[in-house]
Amino acid sequence: MTLGGGARVLLADDDEDIRDLVAFKLGQAGYAVQAVDDGMSAWEAFQADLPRMVVLDVMMPGLSGIDVLRKIRGSGAPEVPVLLLSSRSQDADIDLGFAIGATDYVIKPFSPRELLHRVNGLLARTR
Amino acid sequence: MRPQSLDIAIATTGWLCLGMMLLIVLLRVRRLLRARRQVALMAPYRRDLLVVGAGEDHDGAGARRLARTHGPAAGEVMGSAVEMLGKVRGTPADELIHLLTIRGEVSEAARRLSSLLAVRRARAAHVLGLCQQDPAVPQLIHALGDSTVEVRAAAAHALGLIGNPVAAPPLLRAVGATDAGIPACVAAEALLAMGTGVAGALLDGLADPQPRTRDVAAHVSGVGAFTRCRPQLRALLRDDADLTVRQTCAAALGAVGGAEDAEVLGRHTRQGVPLSLRRVCVAALGDLGDPEALPALAMLLHDPDPWLAELAAAALLQIDPGAGSTLSDMAGTEATDPRRGRPVASALLVAGLRGAVTE
Repeated sequence: MTLGGGARVLLADDDEDIRDLVAFKLGQAGYAVQAVDDGMSAWEAFQADLPRMVVLDVMMPGLSGIDVLRKIRGSGAPEVPVLLLSSRSQDADIDLGFAIGATDYVIKPFSPRELLHRVNGLLARTR
Repeated sequence: MRPQSLDIAIATTGWLCLGMMLLIVLLRVRRLLRARRQVALMAPYRRDLLVVGAGEDHDGAGARRLARTHGPAAGEVMGSAVEMLGKVRGTPADELIHLLTIRGEVSEAARRLSSLLAVRRARAAHVLGLCQQDPAVPQLIHALGDSTVEVRAAAAHALGLIGNPVAAPPLLRAVGATDAGIPACVAAEALLAMGTGVAGALLDGLADPQPRTRDVAAHVSGVGAFTRCRPQLRALLRDDADLTVRQTCAAALGAVGGAEDAEVLGRHTRQGVPLSLRRVCVAALGDLGDPEALPALAMLLHDPDPWLAELAAAALLQIDPGAGSTLSDMAGTEATDPRRGRPVASALLVAGLRGAVTE
């Protein structure tokens, strides 16, 4: 059995390269990735079928990653790990992400290998 | 009856509008067709690029296929590789840099840095930065004096990506160049990316005759936690002729200040100091987090300037989150004045939204 074990990961990023890259990396590790390109689609996908984990870009058109995270944490759904992926690297941005309920925060440009390790770690802790 | 000249003017305007609309449509169609062509050219190589970008090209087959591209597809593949390079780091970035190097993109970028077209020069600087070409640092430093701001900014950004602190002094000088400067935020980010090796350049920058240079040096000193710059920051806060520089120094001391800086900043919150500087100093006291500032901040809750009073309340909460209950009592008795608002209540509201109040 592969590392991801088919666990469903919801991924939202409006950058096609990042979306394809993360989906490919996590897919190779055995995760079932559902990729969407905006915040509203992410929120709808989250409501339709609860994922094991969510990877959210912070800056997206319409609903931002922060907005989606706020909705997820306010939804009463179980504590699904949410990893924020953002090019915003100031302490204030990172503090805001964690204050709203992010489980982890990865700054772009990122190492795909490190991202995979973090996803593995977060899911291992919530199993 | 309308004069004939009016009819001609209306008809001409109508044709012009029609022409403009047609031009817009044509340009959009052209852009769409070009985008489709790019996708079609790239399609056979997209998976290889993802394999390399994701660090999954264990046998190097993906990189070899990308390196063998030729004809119109080669340009698309290399362009996409540059795009991807800006989004990843680690081994995938190294492999993409290797790909671009063996395909001659890096040496081509070094040549294009002296192209007649500004867009090519800016793009070349971008590629050299992404590929972390240390040998190109002298050329990029030269490009900081380019006639086009976009090229100067791209060169500054590239120098930050390369991270060689030898570029810090010319970068700081370029910030303040009259009529040929570079955006302060780009310079600041680049300097921060160069790491601790820029400390000496920052000290020189704080003594530069150009206020923009002093301002950027002060900002970087604070954000980058350059404690060596504290004495200069204190001196500029006290004496600089430029108010913006004084404000930036205050904010920097809030980030990087030591035990004596609660008193230094507190001194600049008094009446008689320019209001904008007082406000920055109050916020900086909150960032500094020294309990010694609490009595002065408590006094400022009653300041005639409501914004300053609100900043004082926010700073109190930052230093002592337990002060929330006392401030809540105070907010309860705060008079509602339409001109002044309710500064303490506002600070509590904002702190509550940030989850910072612990009652």
